[in-house]
Amino acid sequence: MISASLSFEGFDSRSWANLLSLFAPNVMHRMTTEAVNSDAPEVEEEAAPGRRGTLVIVLDDRERVLKALHTIEGRIKDLEYEGADSLEAMAERWGAARCIVLREGVVEEISERVAHRIERGDDYVSQLLTTARAVREMSEAGLLLSWPRPLEHVPIPTIGMVRRALDSVLPEDRAVVFVIWNRSAPWTGLVLRRNGSEIDLVAGPDLIARWTGPLGGDWRRDYRVIGDAVERAVAPVHLGIYTDLATVRELLRGYEPGAWARAVAVRDIIVHPTPPYVAVALGADAVRKAAAESARWLGGIDAIGQLAPLARYLRGRFTEIASVTATLGFDPLKLLSIWLRRQEEQEALTDQADEEE
Amino acid sequence: MHYWRLERSAWKPGLTQLHDLGLPIVETYVPWQVHEVAPGEYDFGKTDARKDIGAFIDIAAELGLLVFVRPGPHINAEMTYFGLPERIVYDRACQARSPRQNPVIQGFPPRMFPVPSYASRTFFDELGRWYDAVGEVLAPRLWPSGPIVLFQIDNEASYYFRDAAYDQDYHPDAVADWRKFLEKRYGNLANTSAAHSTKYARWDDAKPPERFSAETPEELVVHLDWATFREDMIASSLGRMKRRLGKAGLRGPVTVHNFPLGDQGAVMSSPALEKVVDLVGFDYYHARRDHRTIKRRTLYLAGTHPLPYAPEMGVGAPAWFTPLANEDSLFTVLVALAYGLRGFNLYMAVDRDRWYGAPIDARGNPRVEAGAWKHLITTLTEIGFHKLSRRAEVGLMLPREYARLSKATSLLGFFSPTVIEALGGNPVQACREDTFGFEGPIQVLWWKFLARFADALTAAGVPYVYVDGDVASERLEALRALITPSYELCDPARWKRVTAFAENGGTVVYGPAMPGLDLSAKRTLFEVPSGARRVYIDTDDDARGVVHDLVCELPLAQPFPVRPAPLETSVHEDESGPRVLFIINPTKRSVTAEVDVPAEMTFEDLLCGERFEGRGTVSVPMKGWSCRMLSLRGEAKRSSESGTAVAS
Repeated sequence: MISASLSFEGFDSRSWANLLSLFAPNVMHRMTTEAVNSDAPEVEEEAAPGRRGTLVIVLDDRERVLKALHTIEGRIKDLEYEGADSLEAMAERWGAARCIVLREGVVEEISERVAHRIERGDDYVSQLLTTARAVREMSEAGLLLSWPRPLEHVPIPTIGMVRRALDSVLPEDRAVVFVIWNRSAPWTGLVLRRNGSEIDLVAGPDLIARWTGPLGGDWRRDYRVIGDAVERAVAPVHLGIYTDLATVRELLRGYEPGAWARAVAVRDIIVHPTPPYVAVALGADAVRKAAAESARWLGGIDAIGQLAPLARYLRGRFTEIASVTATLGFDPLKLLSIWLRRQEEQEALTDQADEEE
Repeated sequence: MHYWRLERSAWKPGLTQLHDLGLPIVETYVPWQVHEVAPGEYDFGKTDARKDIGAFIDIAAELGLLVFVRPGPHINAEMTYFGLPERIVYDRACQARSPRQNPVIQGFPPRMFPVPSYASRTFFDELGRWYDAVGEVLAPRLWPSGPIVLFQIDNEASYYFRDAAYDQDYHPDAVADWRKFLEKRYGNLANTSAAHSTKYARWDDAKPPERFSAETPEELVVHLDWATFREDMIASSLGRMKRRLGKAGLRGPVTVHNFPLGDQGAVMSSPALEKVVDLVGFDYYHARRDHRTIKRRTLYLAGTHPLPYAPEMGVGAPAWFTPLANEDSLFTVLVALAYGLRGFNLYMAVDRDRWYGAPIDARGNPRVEAGAWKHLITTLTEIGFHKLSRRAEVGLMLPREYARLSKATSLLGFFSPTVIEALGGNPVQACREDTFGFEGPIQVLWWKFLARFADALTAAGVPYVYVDGDVASERLEALRALITPSYELCDPARWKRVTAFAENGGTVVYGPAMPGLDLSAKRTLFEVPSGARRVYIDTDDDARGVVHDLVCELPLAQPFPVRPAPLETSVHEDESGPRVLFIINPTKRSVTAEVDVPAEMTFEDLLCGERFEGRGTVSVPMKGWSCRMLSLRGEAKRSSESGTAVAS
């Protein structure tokens, strides 16, 4: 799915940072957070800061602690391991957002299993899934424990499942375009191309500008120029999303029912072309909005919920065609917004800890 | 500038702009994978014009540029298989092996792949053919008849970032080399058996350790030997590559090697490597928040190597790396210069596939960031910055034997000390806490000891450097005080250099223990360095107290003290006295620096032209995470007693 000759080009440091700030805000936040003020930091239990980083504990076969460390705050001396049920409490006590407990040799075992199973010709996604399975095996054997475990009950998809999901999002020999403006100038942008079965191009604003030539400065008109240029230079566009910075920030960080549908309706965001799964997602978003509104108006009676059998039937028809949600087993838009919100909460905690320091 | 990744029409504009930035040398990899079109068949431009490395070098020469060539075999460069042909990485005979004889997988996108073995004879046979082929194109262009003045041997020799102690290499050729190493070290099988506290009936029994298993000092020996052997394997492999390049006609230019991030965790001694190549440097890819790391790495280069050099000074980064803004890159280079860096290679100067943020785009047009780089490079050239020196009287010694112990006792497998350090941790962060019968966990404590002294020296405003325990005695001559951690176990050869330093009038500070065991865990008589001070450092205040005593008694210079903490200054001088002063604000907050000067002085910011004057104190506003490079003007005077100096 990811080409061995993948091309990534056309970003300067600003446009790349802008893109990351939307989809990986915690990464960008970390870059502007002061580092620990020591080459060999150590952390005391009482002095544990706000919840950030990971508490890592390595045990031997007798569950003796060989090492305990906080990935940001440093070495922990004399930590007492209290058992598999205590991970959350230990994370709390040592000011960590996560806790991982592993047996000595587990990382080496994962490395050996991955090396044994990876075969020439395997795609990168397939290689990652092989790695994920090896990690899951260690977890299931009780040799690698973690808290929290948000993916505990999520089965590791097969490469076929991932491919089918990709087929929905970006069919073969098509491109997706995503451009965001800040006032009259593109703020960041991204073009992905699927060439045959593989994604082989990730292009940024420099390259997009080369394909389009000078733009007019009104994004609600310029988007057509971009779509046409990408079509000429790259591939037919399967999905194009064009919007401005304020709108996209609001949409990505909130999960208000109907927000996406409303933004599309008033052209705060232009989706062109609109593939079926996006239409379904937007439709579902509108239904959610209506459900929420009707429940409020009717004093808690979920009118739309009464129509559930019909809604399920209709939704089932859609998903047979193209629903990414059905293929993956979760709603990716919902997951994205929850994830971004969680990252922001984490940032707020870190900021608070910094200020307290 | 990666010629094969650019349209040929972009070569000349790119090189012209690069020259216009003020850069005198263009650097490029020469990727084996790109030029090999079939086993033993190579294209250097006959079929694909973008592969015409000869023409690229000729254009550079026409424009007045010198050339730095890096023909691998490993080049990374974010290339699939790190620039090696696919047939090589999937040739079982070429592959490094894990303890279970599996291949050793490198995980970078867009493909994980099995890394080659640094010991494989088959790999070296294949490499020889590549070097012969590329040699035909490059040899006629060597200095002085051509522009090629620098050659890099291999790249980032860290076992392809799979450098945990027991990750690799258990290739039959590596195991054979291990036995030869033991024979050379101990003379015969009986001595080897004695050293390893076991009974080898024949050499085949002398298997390398596959996991850490020691509980006593005696049982540590085989693991320390393994760590030393792995360093030796890299050095001897690079030596073999260098000789093979020579055989291919590529002999003469200065040879270079670069350490990636995580150098203190690296499976390599940089002084040992400097015996193989002429110039060893570190790659810099840091954000502004990494001030402490930039400082530590540069002070190591300044104290350990004659020419502190950055073969890759990151401008931008690969997409799958920590995101870096241009402000991060400028801050990094200024801070590195402040602490003693004397040469750097802007990587990348010209943008390319799998990269973002270069100051010149992939068509050879300057981006807005190019202006700042041009101004900086022009300024450094105009003031003759490379001729200045930063005086440091104190050295913090990094004992190689303790670093090896840290590598052997690291518990997180793939997340080796190198990887952890590169991710922002430190090289002892994942070491087990066992004491092996010593007073404490040496593998953790040595790093803490040095960190405390580094902080104490910084707080006192005393310039210092790090010196590798492997350095030759000559590198210690400029120092007046040497501070080294010491524990029960110690390398006698290193200790001899420490005692020789004391005999030559230097002040040695060591502790907490007086060594008693050599690297074979045999009781050995270690001489107490003449006039040395043994110290017990349990708290930060202990280290501050020792530094305070040194400052008062020796005395040590504290040039251009600055307030408030943690602001720092660093002064660079020539025979006429101080010429350039750096003020560094390593915090996120804006603050006004109050710099003490002994007379009326004027500072002029060499990059923005702002001037600051004062008598007794000069006030300089500092933005968060900033570094100013200032020229000094004032009364000509030098006072060694007060440790201050004023420029003419």
